[in-house]
Amino acid sequence: MAASTSTVIGQSAFVRGRVSGEGDLEIAGRVEGDIACSGEVLIDTSALVAANVSGSRIVVRGAVKGDLVAEDAVVIEAGARVVGDLRAPRITIIQGGLVRGHVQTAGGGAARPRASSAAHATRTSASETKARPAPLAARPAAQRTPDVRPAPVAARPAPAASRPVRPAPEIAKAAPAPASRTNHVQKSDPRNERSNGGSAARHAGPPPPVVPVLKKGTKAVQKKRA
Amino acid sequence: MASTVIGAGITIEGELTTDDDVVVLGTLRGRLVAKDAVTVEQGGAVEADISGGPVAVAGSVTGNIISSDRVDLQNGAKVIGNVKATRITIADGAQFKGNVDMDV
Repeated sequence: MAASTSTVIGQSAFVRGRVSGEGDLEIAGRVEGDIACSGEVLIDTSALVAANVSGSRIVVRGAVKGDLVAEDAVVIEAGARVVGDLRAPRITIIQGGLVRGHVQTAGGGAARPRASSAAHATRTSASETKARPAPLAARPAAQRTPDVRPAPVAARPAPAASRPVRPAPEIAKAAPAPASRTNHVQKSDPRNERSNGGSAARHAGPPPPVVPVLKKGTKAVQKKRA
Repeated sequence: MASTVIGAGITIEGELTTDDDVVVLGTLRGRLVAKDAVTVEQGGAVEADISGGPVAVAGSVTGNIISSDRVDLQNGAKVIGNVKATRITIADGAQFKGNVDMDV
């Protein structure tokens, strides 16, 4: 039988529904729904995908809101904006790619973020990343940034501050030095204040849910607020 | 502009709306609205209403075809549904069941 032709969803196309089947898939338009394909999925620069994508290999250059599950590899190239989980044996995030979600390479390891994230951050790309520890209580388990219509994502988690944000993965760089790529996400992450030595009060708003680092000279008595 | 191609092994269940032309070699269930040409190749199956510019069918279409231009049912085509167009050709070998409305 003839090999499946590669499928192209053109730039002005809008698909709402489920795309499934065999063969390669190239998306340059908008897709809302579900994508399940047995071949390679290429999400091009102009693409806006609000769907879970699954394929053997997923290459992302555009905006995706949804989980990416691949049997082989997920490659997030520069210019890509992804809000959603990544799950594949091999994951590559090229500098310039923006990801917000849970990244998992190994099938076994459960998603337990650990405090010693710094040690892990220096691993190379094909590593399992668990970023900052989840501050227990106040953060609802699977909260994802709501309503990120992929177009304006531009990687700025807008009302930042007190909104709990899934940690952005740090791949191949030391934890303390925030890379420009994920800088904005880190800044707005209230949990990051802990590792920054309590540079709190950056955001005028309710105090972060985390137990903040005690500043030098803090008295035992809490000041009464007016 | 880029055209949209639905490859042979792919099934889309839902709506497809586009400003470009569409070539269907796979399966589409739902709705197809295009502003430009729509081609259903042999082997393609569309179970949907098709709305677009010139429509050429060589595969199977189950649904109404509303075209702003012409509709060509080629040899091997199997269309079950109404066709609304200003021009239409039904080639020898095409199978067709439905009404034809040529806006007369």
